[in-house]
Amino acid sequence: MATISIKNIASAIYESSLGKSGVELDAVTKKAVNLISKKHLLSKSKELLIQLEKIVDKSEEVVRAKISSRIKIDKKTTDEIEDFIKKRYKAKNTIMEFEVDEKLLGGIKIQIGDEIIDMTLKNKIKKLQNYLITN
Amino acid sequence: MTKNYIVENLKKQIESFKDEARAEKVGHVIEVFDGIAKISGLSDIKSSEMVSFPNGEIGVALNLEEDSVGVIILGDFTKIREGDVVKATNQILSVPVSDLQIGRVLNALGAPIDGKGAIKTDKSNPIEKVAPGVITRLSVSQAVQTGIKAIDALIPIGRGQRELIIGDRQTGKTAIAIDTILNQKGQDMICVYVSIGQKDSKLRKLQTRLEEGGAMEYTIIVSAGSSESAALSYIAPYTGVSIAEYFMDQGKDVLIIYDDLSKHAVAYREISLLLRRPPGREAFPGDVFYLHSRLLERACRRNKEYGGGSITALPIIETQSGDLSAYIPTNVISITDGQIFLETDLFYKGIRPAVNVGFSVSRVGSSAQIKAMKKVSGTLKLDLAQFRELEAFSQFGSDLDESTKNQLERGKRAVEVLKQPQYAPYATEDQVVVLYALTKGLMDDVAVDKIKLFEEGLIDYAKRNAKTFYKEVTTTKMWTDVGEQELVKTITDFKSGFNK
Repeated sequence: MATISIKNIASAIYESSLGKSGVELDAVTKKAVNLISKKHLLSKSKELLIQLEKIVDKSEEVVRAKISSRIKIDKKTTDEIEDFIKKRYKAKNTIMEFEVDEKLLGGIKIQIGDEIIDMTLKNKIKKLQNYLITN
Repeated sequence: MTKNYIVENLKKQIESFKDEARAEKVGHVIEVFDGIAKISGLSDIKSSEMVSFPNGEIGVALNLEEDSVGVIILGDFTKIREGDVVKATNQILSVPVSDLQIGRVLNALGAPIDGKGAIKTDKSNPIEKVAPGVITRLSVSQAVQTGIKAIDALIPIGRGQRELIIGDRQTGKTAIAIDTILNQKGQDMICVYVSIGQKDSKLRKLQTRLEEGGAMEYTIIVSAGSSESAALSYIAPYTGVSIAEYFMDQGKDVLIIYDDLSKHAVAYREISLLLRRPPGREAFPGDVFYLHSRLLERACRRNKEYGGGSITALPIIETQSGDLSAYIPTNVISITDGQIFLETDLFYKGIRPAVNVGFSVSRVGSSAQIKAMKKVSGTLKLDLAQFRELEAFSQFGSDLDESTKNQLERGKRAVEVLKQPQYAPYATEDQVVVLYALTKGLMDDVAVDKIKLFEEGLIDYAKRNAKTFYKEVTTTKMWTDVGEQELVKTITDFKSGFNK
């Protein structure tokens, strides 16, 4: 028998609580917690939450992006980035997290899940260094 | 060189640098130990795809799991830390290939390690490739001359064949491989020697020996030393065969030696166990057969329509106290087209090369032998088989009948003739002359302890006095009656002088 992964449990919880609210949802939550504790997986609750979040995001077509830049980005650029992300990942909504990092020297870096679009000056310099060494 | 020139040059190079923004798949190191890293993320990675670590080390993805990837690290893993960002490269692991690699010593990644400078090349071959299919192949018909009488006569190897060299430690396995490389001079053959998990001192000795013999002019050494990680030992043979394929693609004949595949299997076992793949027999993983079969299947002879060329593989396996039925030896025996079995007992009896003719076979090589050699070696095999059967009797001494005695005497001489020192290869024509004299009974009245001396003298004499015979064998691969008569006369003449 295949082992039950955290992902499996997360999707089971999601499916059983779908479309429920109030007392019903409470009952499902209680049962879910009981199951987790019975399977001795309470220590993995953090991972479980991350998986749940992923499943919810996927079904609701939400994309989480982390954007790093050297200086704070203005509203116009933010909107542009949002449009770009929505188009590229075919998402309805985006949750964007902004971060200012002076070490990037310039440009921006967009991180979505395990994909990175790195357009920072730091990365470019690194690439140039590699290019000059190998040629 | 002026300062301006350097600046100008740099400027030009910087101008030619192009960069485009690309979405890259990344992951993070979860754990790293013993040359293995477990990485989260990297969702769309392929099996055996290269990944790059922040300090420039590269890894190969081997285990693709639900939410992590098991990677072997090629190189120094001590600087890799938990949480490091790992990038997918979208490329299957490949090694640089070039004509300039001939004469060089390379590491498992194809980079030179002999201190003779970098090799500039812009071509590279993936290390894993599907072996050539049936329609592209041609059966074996041309010989690889090893220069060793026992092998060329009894266990012939053809171009495109896979012949296993198997035996205990210290029985002369590498010696046969080296002799074969040395004998390829002028035979239009590129040699690749893959050293897996060997001592660096042994490799150095071997390199010096090849240089002295002028063999480095057509040889490439690929080495994954015993001080390097198991991951490098694991990929070294594939690197070697990728380089060999580069030359085969030019229509050349290539000889590749894997020294040795037992250590390769052990390295793969180490990696597999660290990657937590389930162990099987002798703790080897389930796919250890495929590990060697896909490597050796890449040895082939291609037909003219597909570019010609061949790769002949001589894998080496080390057995433990002559045990041929262990896991890896049986696997490789069944994959290859025959084996040369070397025995400790024979080695210490002074029969060197210590080839056990009874257990050694070449399943396809006989079609690569020239006709003259076939003619003389056919009866030789029979002589030796009968000799082995009768050898036990010989202890009883005098009670034997005349024909048995004759067979014993013939056998003793055959064994003596097949002895050969290291680094002393024989040309095919010379082998034919000596074996002709033996099998036709022309050596029967030469004392056994004088056989070696007789042999050397005979070759020298025949070269001068049996020119027709030599010419016939060289050009038409077979003698005529005229040549044969000349040879018989030459041998008899020489013998009468020798016995005086």
